[in-house]
Amino acid sequence: MKLNPLSIPYRAGESVVRLAWVLVIAFVGTSGISGPTGIGLLVVAWFVVATAYQLVYYQRFDYELTEDTLDIASGVVSRRQREIPIRRIQNVDISRNVVQRLLGLSRIDLETAGGSSTEASLRYVSTEEAERLQSEIARLKRGETEGEESPESTTEEELFAITPKELGLLGLVGVDLRLLGFVTVILPVVFPPVQRRFGDPFQDPLIALATTAPLVAVAIVAVTAAISGLLAVANYYDFRLARRGDELLYERGLLQRFSGSIPLEKVQTLSVSENVIARRLGYASLAVETAGYAPGDAGSQSAIPLADRTRVLSLAQSVEAFADLDFERPPKRARERYVARYAIVVAVVVAIAYAVNRMTDITFAWYATAGLFAVVPVAAHLKWVNLGYDLQDEYIVLREGFWTRTITVVPYYRVQTVLDSQSVFQRRRRLATLVVDTAGSSGLTSGQPRALDIDAETAQDIRESVADRLQAALARRREERRRERLEAIAADPSELAADD
Amino acid sequence: MSSVVLGLIAAVAFLFAPVGGPWVGAAVAVVVFLLSVVFAVLRYRIWSYQLRTDSLLLQRGVVTRVSTVAPYVRIQHVDVRRGPTERAFGLATTVVYTAGSRGADVSIPGLTPERAEDLQTRLKQLAIAAEGEDAV
Repeated sequence: MKLNPLSIPYRAGESVVRLAWVLVIAFVGTSGISGPTGIGLLVVAWFVVATAYQLVYYQRFDYELTEDTLDIASGVVSRRQREIPIRRIQNVDISRNVVQRLLGLSRIDLETAGGSSTEASLRYVSTEEAERLQSEIARLKRGETEGEESPESTTEEELFAITPKELGLLGLVGVDLRLLGFVTVILPVVFPPVQRRFGDPFQDPLIALATTAPLVAVAIVAVTAAISGLLAVANYYDFRLARRGDELLYERGLLQRFSGSIPLEKVQTLSVSENVIARRLGYASLAVETAGYAPGDAGSQSAIPLADRTRVLSLAQSVEAFADLDFERPPKRARERYVARYAIVVAVVVAIAYAVNRMTDITFAWYATAGLFAVVPVAAHLKWVNLGYDLQDEYIVLREGFWTRTITVVPYYRVQTVLDSQSVFQRRRRLATLVVDTAGSSGLTSGQPRALDIDAETAQDIRESVADRLQAALARRREERRRERLEAIAADPSELAADD
Repeated sequence: MSSVVLGLIAAVAFLFAPVGGPWVGAAVAVVVFLLSVVFAVLRYRIWSYQLRTDSLLLQRGVVTRVSTVAPYVRIQHVDVRRGPTERAFGLATTVVYTAGSRGADVSIPGLTPERAEDLQTRLKQLAIAAEGEDAV
């Protein structure tokens, strides 16, 4: 099969847009090329070259979906033949931005476990073709042949659709201060005018800085909040989640539309997270993790971006049937650790304030910072109270975090390794941290699922029992699979030959 | 080994430091060396691995003590690694990979090359025997 012919001009156009950036950077301020006509000519020339290249690319690119593989032949300069076994495909994602939607094009990305990058990417096919591929792959993965589709595997059951209220709240709650880094780029642009406006030029520059810096800081945080809020809204606009057979299907986005599938049998962990604001309002988000890859971009991998907490929990329970949560907190002596740790931080802050007071001209009531000591027990308690673990029959559930509290559900049969560690300070209080490692992908970016500062002996016991329960769960699954196969063979003897 | 390097670095650093003369550097080097010998001995004594019926148990760490359980079912592949220093001292490390994000953390250093290879073969056999039909 070929890509959509419209992808030729579109991809050529894309490369012109990329070139435009280079041109802007290279030629702004220089008079090397004679004005706009020169640049215009260059753009046209580039477009011609790019179209020719894309034409060859289009001719070389060939894909075919067979009964058990997806074969892709591609490459202009160096050729590549790739066969991806259908059963290994984990996610099929479709995305369309505004221009692509106007042209009726879609980009389709296929992910398998292992490998950090996307396994195959078809840029671009028609929207109908993308949807056909998505449902065909899902059908082939279930091992059904055409015509005999079971009704339950084709009907979609809508699980969740975001309401305008939830979307609005998401804009508020989804404030992501990680964007601060980006926003500080515009700092040099913003800063001088602010200083001119609010700072007295005849003043001591240090004092001027002291008056303008907080203003700028407030402005930066506000801008970041607004941008990230808007981004969250645009990303999750018209979000809906449906279930078809054993796959979750999602769709979202305002400017760029994403849709994709999350295979439920490949789910590694579930995590329900709620930040301080969301917790106050009784809302939470759910992230479903499959091996090697999480749907959406790294930062926004949620299966449900924001919904009522009880609803999120019951949806999570429909994906993995864990029992109601009943967390065991770490022993009280763990709290002393946090008191000690935060007290040290405050002591350092006070020391710095004192040093600044003594050694520079800035005089202020440095001892006021000692008031922070009052916050220490509160902070330690909050840290402690949000910790917990729950050892269930088939799942271990872990909870951590005050600012963003995350509850992670790990099925025993997904556990890869389990370890307990004790630092010097933990040993003094007979505490240990238990880490349960899965093949989920977020382990690389955020912390692994862990039970922090639990009793050392308990940690050892849990470590062993998690390992034992993993073996038991695997044995159970093997047994189940064998029975299913036997039943299938009993029902249809031809299966025996087909399965090998 | 690394202790000697550390000691040398400290010696050089103190050579140029305003306090004291080169002898401070020598003293520091000796102290650092002694400390790291103690550290290395402790590390060696705490280090242990155990092949159990269905998993590999690994204990390590002086400052932070870690016990890892790596079930054989989860083993993807096993490597023997020999860095330049290890080669100089005739040592080898067996590294066990799982599909988990901390996969490469499961390594057994300080073995003789023969022992490392034996362990590699043994673990491979155990992993195959454990029938890991779905690794992830």
